[in-house]
Amino acid sequence: MIREIVENKAQVEETCTKAYEKAKAYQDKLNAVITFVDPKEQLENLPEEGLMRGVPIALKDNVNTKGILTTAGSRILSNYVPIYDAAIAEKLKAAGAVVIAKASMDELAMGGTNKTAYIGPCLNPWDTSRITGGSSGGSAALVASGVVPMAIGSDTGDSVRKPASFCGIVGIKPTYGRISRYGIIPYSSSLDHVGYFTRSIEDACITLQVLAGRDDRDMTSSYREVPDYRALLNADMKGKKIAIFGNVLDAIANENTKALFFDLVEKLKEKGAIVDTFYFNEDLMKAMLPTYYLIANCEATSNHSNLDGLRFGVRETGASMEEIMTNSRTKGFGPLIRKRFVIGSYGLFEENQDKLFRKAQKVRRKIVDELNVCLKDYDCLLAPASSTIAPRLDEASGDELSDGYLVAENHMVIGNFSGYPSMTVPMGFEEGCPIGVNLTCRAFEEDMMFNIGKAIEEITGYENLIAEVK
Amino acid sequence: MEEKKDQAYFRKLANQLMFDLSDEEANAIVKEFEVLTKQLELLDAVDTEGVEEMIYPFEEDTFFLRKDEVTHVISQEDALVNVKDKIEGHFVLPKVVK
Repeated sequence: MIREIVENKAQVEETCTKAYEKAKAYQDKLNAVITFVDPKEQLENLPEEGLMRGVPIALKDNVNTKGILTTAGSRILSNYVPIYDAAIAEKLKAAGAVVIAKASMDELAMGGTNKTAYIGPCLNPWDTSRITGGSSGGSAALVASGVVPMAIGSDTGDSVRKPASFCGIVGIKPTYGRISRYGIIPYSSSLDHVGYFTRSIEDACITLQVLAGRDDRDMTSSYREVPDYRALLNADMKGKKIAIFGNVLDAIANENTKALFFDLVEKLKEKGAIVDTFYFNEDLMKAMLPTYYLIANCEATSNHSNLDGLRFGVRETGASMEEIMTNSRTKGFGPLIRKRFVIGSYGLFEENQDKLFRKAQKVRRKIVDELNVCLKDYDCLLAPASSTIAPRLDEASGDELSDGYLVAENHMVIGNFSGYPSMTVPMGFEEGCPIGVNLTCRAFEEDMMFNIGKAIEEITGYENLIAEVK
Repeated sequence: MEEKKDQAYFRKLANQLMFDLSDEEANAIVKEFEVLTKQLELLDAVDTEGVEEMIYPFEEDTFFLRKDEVTHVISQEDALVNVKDKIEGHFVLPKVVK
């Protein structure tokens, strides 16, 4: 899609204007946008050439954009207008991409439903009684509904890869350090990644080409060369070694999901893949979500101490500085965020640091060590991205101590613990709604990940899936 | 003796973080903390004796000591663009010393 738009130079203005109008037309049904961005001025200043010249895109609303409202889905930032562009906003602009919307997201990216955005929930384009998943739900909805061919998200636990599953699109979380995070409103610095959504693997290759590369302003940004991902793309599965994530499959109760998955696995074998099942230590699997929860919330509590309403953001009144801060933070943050901060702070108490925070960091290393054992022998780890299709808006999350919750619904955090590239690709449909498959590869082997993704795309035929919004 | 994890405990914690909780919210945290405590106990099942903490995914050097040169400067006007109340290049806050 991206290549076609770039090649069709004469249609660029029409394409971007249509995307902008379509985003507006769908707003009542999807509530996917926080701020619409008129493309007119950007179209007047397009570069002569660029890998994304004239391609309409959306940015998750935690990407700082100079002069354009950037709220991170939170009331406390609902008046915040950045004075600089994020590194990726600069890169996209230089490549000729045209931003038409700042997309809805869970407040401060801390959620998996997109129900906590201060503008209200974002709805799934395949079935508007269902969630998109989060936290990058607005971006996912705009790609899945055909408004834009690419939208930026961010992924700290599975915030790109889970909504990609629920919305029937490709969701990419590259290697930690592959894309600069300069100018992204943070959540948890050791787990945060810039990610993105597309409707094809080829578009995923082009997008990473634009976004990747060293940036001195992000201290974790990698010096490694950026390969030409599209040139390297092929769907050859002969001799590729795939490990099925055994613990996840055992924890999934939904037989339809398992049937879709194993059907796909059989077809990968027919294409020449060598497939085995790999089991992680069960205690490590069960500890995965609590480990994530502790590290993410502890880091978030610290990162967001600057949101006080004094220097920027919505300031409430008060008789003293302390009262202003307390009132601003009480009214500015939603209940879920305040709960997470309380838990994060609890984990950081001096008396709890060894028992909880540092313990979680040690368990993180053990989980990654186990993943390394797996990926020493296999090219990728494969599992359904979720056990079911997108839940309905009012559906509860179920027993939070069950394997179904701890393992099947939250296994993708392993990609954030390790920093290894991980992606979700559409796998099939249940009740008219999509569900995806997730694969994780070795560090900086995005080319391998794209090739396996391409093979899956060829098997399923789910390239350029677009939901009919009703 | 370990402090009781009741509504008052979590409200005190919230206040230290410079925000408040409603009764309903504090009550919800008390209930959820029971589940969370059980989840956190799952960490104890993992033997981490002699294991080093993993702070970041990779340990390869990506940082450097930059030259002491002025870069990425923002103007005073820009720095104050998102401030609600300002006078002559300063933030305005209630008096600290009365």
